Amino acid sequence: MAETPAPLAAVQVEALVVMKIIKHCSQTFPSTATGALVGMDVDGTLEITNTFPFPVVEVPAESHFDNAAPNPAAAAPRAKANAAYSAEMIRMLREVNTDANNVGWYTSANMGNFVNMNVIENQFYYQSQLNERTVALVHDISRSAQGSLSLRAFRLSQKFMTAFKENKFTSEDLQKSNLRHPDIFEELPVKLHNSHLITSFIHQLQCPTSSASTELPSSLAALESSPFSKTSTLTPNLDNLSLSIDPFLEKNCDLLLDSIEAHNTEVNNYQYYQRVLGREQQKINAWKQKRAQENATRATLNQPLLPEDEWQRLFKLPAEPSRLDSMLNTRQVDQYSRQVDSFVSSSTGKMFAIKGNLLPNETSN
Amino acid sequence: MAEDSFLHLARPLGPVSVGTAPTTAPLNVVIQPQAVFSILDHSLRRNADQERVIGTLLGTRSEDGSEVEVRSAFAVGHSEAEDQVEVDMEYHKQMLALHLKANPREVLVGWYATASELNTFSALIQNFYSGQGDGTWPHPAVHLTVSTEAGKDLETRAYISAPVGVTAERAADSAAFIPVPYELRYGEADKSGLESIANAKDAEDRSATITSDIESLERAVEEVLSMVDRVARYVESVIDEETPASTAMGQFLLNALALAPKVEPADIERDFNNHIQDVLVVSYLANTVRTQMELSTRLATAQLTLGGGEGPATGEGNRQRGGKGGNQGGRQRQERTEEARA
Repeated sequence: MAETPAPLAAVQVEALVVMKIIKHCSQTFPSTATGALVGMDVDGTLEITNTFPFPVVEVPAESHFDNAAPNPAAAAPRAKANAAYSAEMIRMLREVNTDANNVGWYTSANMGNFVNMNVIENQFYYQSQLNERTVALVHDISRSAQGSLSLRAFRLSQKFMTAFKENKFTSEDLQKSNLRHPDIFEELPVKLHNSHLITSFIHQLQCPTSSASTELPSSLAALESSPFSKTSTLTPNLDNLSLSIDPFLEKNCDLLLDSIEAHNTEVNNYQYYQRVLGREQQKINAWKQKRAQENATRATLNQPLLPEDEWQRLFKLPAEPSRLDSMLNTRQVDQYSRQVDSFVSSSTGKMFAIKGNLLPNETSN
Repeated sequence: MAEDSFLHLARPLGPVSVGTAPTTAPLNVVIQPQAVFSILDHSLRRNADQERVIGTLLGTRSEDGSEVEVRSAFAVGHSEAEDQVEVDMEYHKQMLALHLKANPREVLVGWYATASELNTFSALIQNFYSGQGDGTWPHPAVHLTVSTEAGKDLETRAYISAPVGVTAERAADSAAFIPVPYELRYGEADKSGLESIANAKDAEDRSATITSDIESLERAVEEVLSMVDRVARYVESVIDEETPASTAMGQFLLNALALAPKVEPADIERDFNNHIQDVLVVSYLANTVRTQMELSTRLATAQLTLGGGEGPATGEGNRQRGGKGGNQGGRQRQERTEEARA
């Protein structure tokens, strides 16, 4: 990729792709959905013009509630069978003049819980194996249901790619590379784009009849059945105004607690490692002292000295656990708390508005 | 949207085979926006010399076959000449197989063309799609036409067909297309997507950025305010006797006003306080947790320079332990906060 030095700066998503992703993700909700993106790279802007879902082995219903169960869909983008599938699909799409370059993949998320090993490994696979200029689109179903569409584009940073390739995640390596959790992903701005036909289509969708003044309805029933009282407005989405706080907060707290627990486990693991390391180090020191004493006596007795570096064979230092998991976890918590922040900002506004309207004291009602 | 009027009573009988009871119940077609978007996209990507393009419609069929939901579509290459039409059937079959692999619940329901015209070729293709074997038989195949002529409104029409023709050869290339009603339906999940797409409809470059929660809230509030304004203007003009009054309209507005809840101010005050506290506490906690975690990772990996006089080997271990101790303290404090809030 030396001849295309301009880094990817933005992602432009066609309306078709948005709708297809939404359809696929909401169909498979609550399990994860993944699919491939095809498009073109135009001067640093990645134009995503079409998409197709990856086939999934049907998961039995009960496993939907068990997040720990291996999820075949989440691993689908890097599965061998799917590489063949997407190659075939892209070949087919090329025949009907679609932009036939694999430019990434998408996944569904629930409340922003997308920072996990699956996503990392998929994106690593895409960026290292297929094409450096690929993105992961994350569509958050739960947040989209709240009102505004949540679609974000991510790439793994160059720094993280190098570290991941060499699996350098001990604390020493991290000190050296200065890699921290905000450096895992690079987020790219996402722009939606409509073709002329879709623009025209949406205009028609919005005003089904001409804007000439209509005659007044004759009865209440007639009014209610007329096309005007049906919710045909697309924009803005009035769902934004609904004030349902508790489910969102509850879910977020759950997720946060999960993360805290994961963090705890990581810390415990690390402490265990520290203890074992300390114990081994003590043993080694003891052995070294013993050997030194022995050599001292041998020296006085004029006997040949025993080698002093034998301890390297006798004792094995435990391997330091990878800090990658805790790093991801931190990134995930970061994501959650940002999401809570943005939710809080809009919901407090709504709440004060309601209070102001329903309380008769200052504003007459 | 085509505004044709037609009677929709019963669907025509197809060729009846022994043992199957044909149904003549009317057929409804539901189209999801994804399918339309696919069709429009395909229409844009047609070859320069092509008048129209065709493709396959996929979706689901209700149990009694009276409702067909078109969920997605894919393009199929074809070429038309004066006297013959070629459809890439091999392509259609392969693509169908690929598509069904990823969407096992969807079935073939029909086909689309991007011109309103119905001709002999349409009949030929229609007979293929509704035929036995690869087609939708015994269900009727839905034919959707979406006209994409520049400068005109998009017109969508849905048809099913009945066989006509006296001889087998004539029947193969003719069909009576019967219009069926259709509706465009989008689900809850599609709403936010369509909203964002619709944001771009008036933009010069036909593109829009994804709005944040607060921005879309602002827009929604503005919209509601403008609606209230409009109603207020109407009511005022009725009171001033400029516009004729309508009882139905009045009744409707009254009903709407009656939706305002009657609650005691004290209740509101209490609920408000409870909830605002919940919200703020969760926000505070989330941020605290984030800070703690960040601190913990930093301590674990940072180059601590305390006690620089120590030897490198032992210093390393001490440093690490010191870092961890800090973490642990942080963790415990965290848990205490959590308990205090619970």
